[in-house]
Amino acid sequence: MPDSSSPPSIRRRLRQGRDRLATVLVTAGGIGVIAALLAIGVFLVVEVVPLFWPTGATETISPQALWLSLEAAGDPARYRWDPTATLGTDEAARVSLVPLAWGTLEAAAWALLIAVPLALGAAAHSALFMAPRLRSRLKPTLELMEALPGVVIGFVAGLVLAPWVERHLADVLAMLVLLVPGLLLAGGLWSRLPPRLQQAMPLGWAGLWLLPWLLLLLVAAHALSPWLEAWAFGGDLRHWLEVRLGLDIAVRNAMIVGMAMGFAVMPSVYALAEDALSGVPRSLAEGAQALGATRWQTLWRVVLPAASPGIFSAVMIGAGRAVGETMIVLMASGNAALMTWNPLDGLRSLAATIAIELPEAGPGGQHYRLLLLAALLLFAFTFLVNTLAELVRTRLRLRYRRLGGGP
Amino acid sequence: MRPVSGSRARLPRGEGPGAWLAAGSVALSLLALLALLSLLAVRGLGHFWPAPVALVVLEDGRQLAGERVREVPLPEGTGRERLYRTGNRDLDGARWAWVPVSAITAVSHPRDLVVLERRRWGEAIGRLTALESVTGERLEGEAAWAALEGRLVELAALRRARDTLRDEVILPRVRALEAGGDVDRELAIANARLRELQAAMEGGRLILATADGGQLTVPLEEVLRARRPNAMSPPDKLATWGEGVWRFLSEGPRAANTAGGVWPAIFGTVLMVMLMSVLVTPFGVLAAIYLNEVAHQGRLTRLVRIAVRNLAGVPSIVYGVFGLGVFVYGIGGTLDEWFFDATLPSPTFGTGGLLWASLTLALLTLPVVIVATEEGLARIPDQQREGALALGATRLEMLTRVVLPMATPAMLTGVILAVARAAGEVAPLMLVGVAKLAPQVPVDGDFPFLHLDRKFMHLGYHIFDAAFHGGDVQSAMPLVYATALLLVLVILVLNLTAIFLRHHLSTRHGALTRR
Repeated sequence: MPDSSSPPSIRRRLRQGRDRLATVLVTAGGIGVIAALLAIGVFLVVEVVPLFWPTGATETISPQALWLSLEAAGDPARYRWDPTATLGTDEAARVSLVPLAWGTLEAAAWALLIAVPLALGAAAHSALFMAPRLRSRLKPTLELMEALPGVVIGFVAGLVLAPWVERHLADVLAMLVLLVPGLLLAGGLWSRLPPRLQQAMPLGWAGLWLLPWLLLLLVAAHALSPWLEAWAFGGDLRHWLEVRLGLDIAVRNAMIVGMAMGFAVMPSVYALAEDALSGVPRSLAEGAQALGATRWQTLWRVVLPAASPGIFSAVMIGAGRAVGETMIVLMASGNAALMTWNPLDGLRSLAATIAIELPEAGPGGQHYRLLLLAALLLFAFTFLVNTLAELVRTRLRLRYRRLGGGP
Repeated sequence: MRPVSGSRARLPRGEGPGAWLAAGSVALSLLALLALLSLLAVRGLGHFWPAPVALVVLEDGRQLAGERVREVPLPEGTGRERLYRTGNRDLDGARWAWVPVSAITAVSHPRDLVVLERRRWGEAIGRLTALESVTGERLEGEAAWAALEGRLVELAALRRARDTLRDEVILPRVRALEAGGDVDRELAIANARLRELQAAMEGGRLILATADGGQLTVPLEEVLRARRPNAMSPPDKLATWGEGVWRFLSEGPRAANTAGGVWPAIFGTVLMVMLMSVLVTPFGVLAAIYLNEVAHQGRLTRLVRIAVRNLAGVPSIVYGVFGLGVFVYGIGGTLDEWFFDATLPSPTFGTGGLLWASLTLALLTLPVVIVATEEGLARIPDQQREGALALGATRLEMLTRVVLPMATPAMLTGVILAVARAAGEVAPLMLVGVAKLAPQVPVDGDFPFLHLDRKFMHLGYHIFDAAFHGGDVQSAMPLVYATALLLVLVILVLNLTAIFLRHHLSTRHGALTRR
């Protein structure tokens, strides 16, 4: 030990002391922050337990009441979410979470049905065909689309799109019918074009120059829809659906939710799927093309199988987002706790139910704990789905590294 | 771009139908995005443009005056009908009129039609027949219009003076009085001045002949603005438009959020987001430093890292539930018992408020900041750290002098992304403290100046509330569009900043990571 009174030594000790203090503080702070984050799950579990475990504070309910059918009790609707209806009476509250879970999954399913094909198509196009310059612009554009707040999308879906679709149901149907043949027609026409024009409008920029073509298809669909209605549906599609198929039609329905939430979910699925596709080592794709495969064949036979775990995890992340999205469902769905397969009827999701009912439910009561149970379900579902996706992605990264050529 | 010869060599083979469907999905997504943004832009900004007022003569001789809103086909397919905004709700109880197009015999745009914006009852549309000035003088024709315009300028000045007096002199004195201060005399003087201003605003009225032959008498102090849209030149209209946009940004809401501006909501959103970033930045950076620089890089750390990443995907409403249960009911309720015992049946911190909302959103955006900062830290090559340590720096010095400055753009990106996410989140706020209408903004001249326990207004919630809970959704719609546009613009700007920063980051440190 050198002379402890010499200034350099004191300074060194001071520095080391400060260093140790800082390390302790960073460790404590870091662990504290992470513990606070992870406390969410713990809190939900602790608050939900009294619902099933008699503690004296709240009356418990049997787990069966949450998911078993009420058929035996002679209730026409077999499952019912109606936790406040019995406040004055001594009847047992009907607290089946089944219709809410149904609504959540139905909305998510419709959203994925719209988002996944769009996102995967877009990802395939931008990973394999798109001009690099357009691609470097498209990615941030879709990132901006991902950042659009749910409340804006929900407002447009619930108050603009829903009434429009209600009036123009046949237009929507005609557009759906025309979309795929229209795009194929565009491809067919393009291959007949003189080479000079083809070079002016290369496939790499098709994402942009197909926009006017799509608008043209929209106009065509609008023009064709009365004809389609008259030919196939006896003049009035709405009437036909209601009378012939016996469907209830609500203005704000599952299809609107699907469209809006598909729009919201699509960019995140796209981003992950594009990462997975473009992360496939170039040597694989180049090898396939050198053997004479077209780029589409390369995609289908080589790139897609190699990237399939990444695609899977992209879809999982999309599902997690769709299940938890609150404002879009709240504003675009009508919030009626129904259980039907009918895409034109309303639904009510777990997240929307929490947002509507929790401010009114007194803390500690049965209703409050039921809503916390709903939150716990959402938490557990999204956490599991995301963990699965993350594990799959880690695997995938290892696989790419093994296949060589990866970064 | 590919070389021309290459693309030509591939042309004859074609790519098959799948390639076109894939290209179509890019185009379709872009089309949906463009449609959404242009809808918001056109409707949101178009609302402030002074629309021409049509005088419509119907088959049965009735007349009506109003702004044409839209035209839709009749349900039976027998024709079309038009929606006019006719105002004059105090006369006939309706503000809108649907007119079948076939029943219209003539449409004209007379230059003398006047649109009044009033404090109550919304708009009034008609012809100015006479004006009784404050002195009781009766004016007609152009003289009446000139006198009206002059008087409105005076009234606006008086209103401003009154509001300033109330906010800056009287309200603080009243609070001081409640706190036991001796300000009676000052208050009496201010109140007398207020009464003076009030009296100066009274008097005078105008008489409006409506299109259907009725007569409307409006006291002048009720009129906020008057214009003759059909007589305006384009520069005048542009000026009116700019003024309308400015008022939308700077005024408070009127008429149950269906009219007026969104200033309190802008203020609330910005304040909440600022508080949130003050909370989230240090903690997020701290956690990231711990995870990346201090913690032993073992299995547990990897698991924690995955868990933190996954928390970014947990629905925001779950964070709202956590905020309500822990912050509001748990911590807030306890604080109330300890410190605000006197007011207890009515909660102080035991209800939603600014502080709890900021804390909840900070928790919600914590994973975003942690992940972004960690990415930035991981990009810094180990040589930099080792070099610093080899030169004798302690770990703290290595972190603060070498590592953190290099990771600053990543941290900023994380914080900006967090802000952008927080600005758009509404669902958790509905549980922890947003208000439909907050009369007092959370900042004022009263100690402690920043009131963390108050509820606040938020742009996103304003959209939800005005669009779904208002009585007259039809008349709230233009403002909802404008609010939505504003929110989207704010978020787009924040995100563009983040993208720019990230680009900057990758070009600056790209060379370092390539080893």
